[in-house]
Amino acid sequence: MSEILKLENVSYSVRSGKKNIQILDSINFKLDENSILGISGESGSGKTTLAKIIAGVLPITEGEITFSGKNTSNEKKRAVQILFQNNGEILNPLREIDNVIEEAIVIRGYEKNTHAEMEEIFNSINFPEHLWKRKGYELSGGEQQRAALARILAANPELLILDEPFSAQDPESQLNLLNLFLSINKKFNITMICIAHNLRILKKLCGKIIILYNGEIIEEGATEDIFNSPKHPYTKFLLKAENYDLSYEELRHAKRQL
Amino acid sequence: MLDVAIKSLLLKHRDGFRTVLKDISFSMPQNNIFTIVGKNGSGKSTLIKSLTGLLDKRFYSINGQIFIDSENVLSLNQNKLLELRQEKIKYVFQDAINSFDHLKKFGYYFNKLAKNIEETDELLDFFFLPEVDILFKLYPYEVSGGMAQRISLVLALLTHPQIIILDEPTSGIDSPIASLVLVKLKEFVSSSDNSVLLVTQDLLFAKKISNKIAFLSDGNLTDFFSVSDFFDNVNNEKLNLFLNSYTEIS
Repeated sequence: MSEILKLENVSYSVRSGKKNIQILDSINFKLDENSILGISGESGSGKTTLAKIIAGVLPITEGEITFSGKNTSNEKKRAVQILFQNNGEILNPLREIDNVIEEAIVIRGYEKNTHAEMEEIFNSINFPEHLWKRKGYELSGGEQQRAALARILAANPELLILDEPFSAQDPESQLNLLNLFLSINKKFNITMICIAHNLRILKKLCGKIIILYNGEIIEEGATEDIFNSPKHPYTKFLLKAENYDLSYEELRHAKRQL
Repeated sequence: MLDVAIKSLLLKHRDGFRTVLKDISFSMPQNNIFTIVGKNGSGKSTLIKSLTGLLDKRFYSINGQIFIDSENVLSLNQNKLLELRQEKIKYVFQDAINSFDHLKKFGYYFNKLAKNIEETDELLDFFFLPEVDILFKLYPYEVSGGMAQRISLVLALLTHPQIIILDEPTSGIDSPIASLVLVKLKEFVSSSDNSVLLVTQDLLFAKKISNKIAFLSDGNLTDFFSVSDFFDNVNNEKLNLFLNSYTEIS
């Protein structure tokens, strides 16, 4: 399998007054084409920053990112897309959805029937026809998320980054999204990175998982292995706390071990 | 203690087409954690905001009665509502970062609300948050969403309210931190005559934390059931579908 993305010693820091605050510290990993990678970890550990760096939204301070998709260099921005947590905001609230999507297909430079391509995208994300003429503000949160996903697919990305797509979604929407991501991964051959706190869902979606703690990768491996034999104390803590039944003493004790 | 009873609450969107909440009635005896679950867009957040008059009257019309200590919230003036929200009922919103002024450091809020520095230290330590010296100098945009949510909860606790209302307390935080929130809220309702109302999509969290759970669907609220009844014994088609999806995803 060929490699689509490689991060070598990638660091990101910001200046706050006279201090340099390290957000990400020497991140290294590789991503195979068409694979789905999960990223989990502490809140504030740098997950969203990492997503933005890969998409080129934020510059790196040190290290190197090699993106080896078909559309490299100046096309990179379109080849890597992020579905953000507050995805409703990427939609123009006052434009009809089909308009937005068809335009995006045209911008991409698609030369065949753009309307047919749009229908294909809508169908593959279960976006029913009665919603096509709606405007952004007329859609519910779940519908907005699918419309945002349609907008992203219209750009024909090679790598899609999902930032907490399941958080605050009801169980039915979570299930629908999970199946949707699995099917577009296959159908459009899109490589994916999914950031989520919910490890149970990552287990169903991803072949490989990375755990971030304090801006560093502390554990990386096949999903099954991480669940069955976590090595780092934080990963153990994360999995142990998953059922919400640790006492305060147990939580405190585990925290001290880190 | 604070007596809360909601009677025949009816909430309509002023566009004239949508009834957001239909004939909702419940009461909240103290020492309990009440949880409302339901699909996206079922009206959960709207319901909790309506309890202290937080909804914009330009967009919503509201009928019914919300009694808090035998006073009807819907007929309170703005000053009385502010007093209620300052002293008795505190909210922790999902989007906690944006409930702070981005140009004010956290110290501003703590100095205003916290009388007792020892208590502040204890709570920050409890939630694995930075110490006073560090935290007070930070701006809201310098912390993560999960951290802002915990800070918001600490500030709520420091004002010693009788009710804390939380919107999606586990979204954006990892399981150890969510466990801390659970432990603290249980302590809050058992150590004095307080109560907690929360809405969440995290059904496992709901199962572990709640004394009573209700299901909101298309603006209709079921009764509040015990946890075991809610997950196993309620005969409601929509709830059963909702719980089936949950079983499949977990």
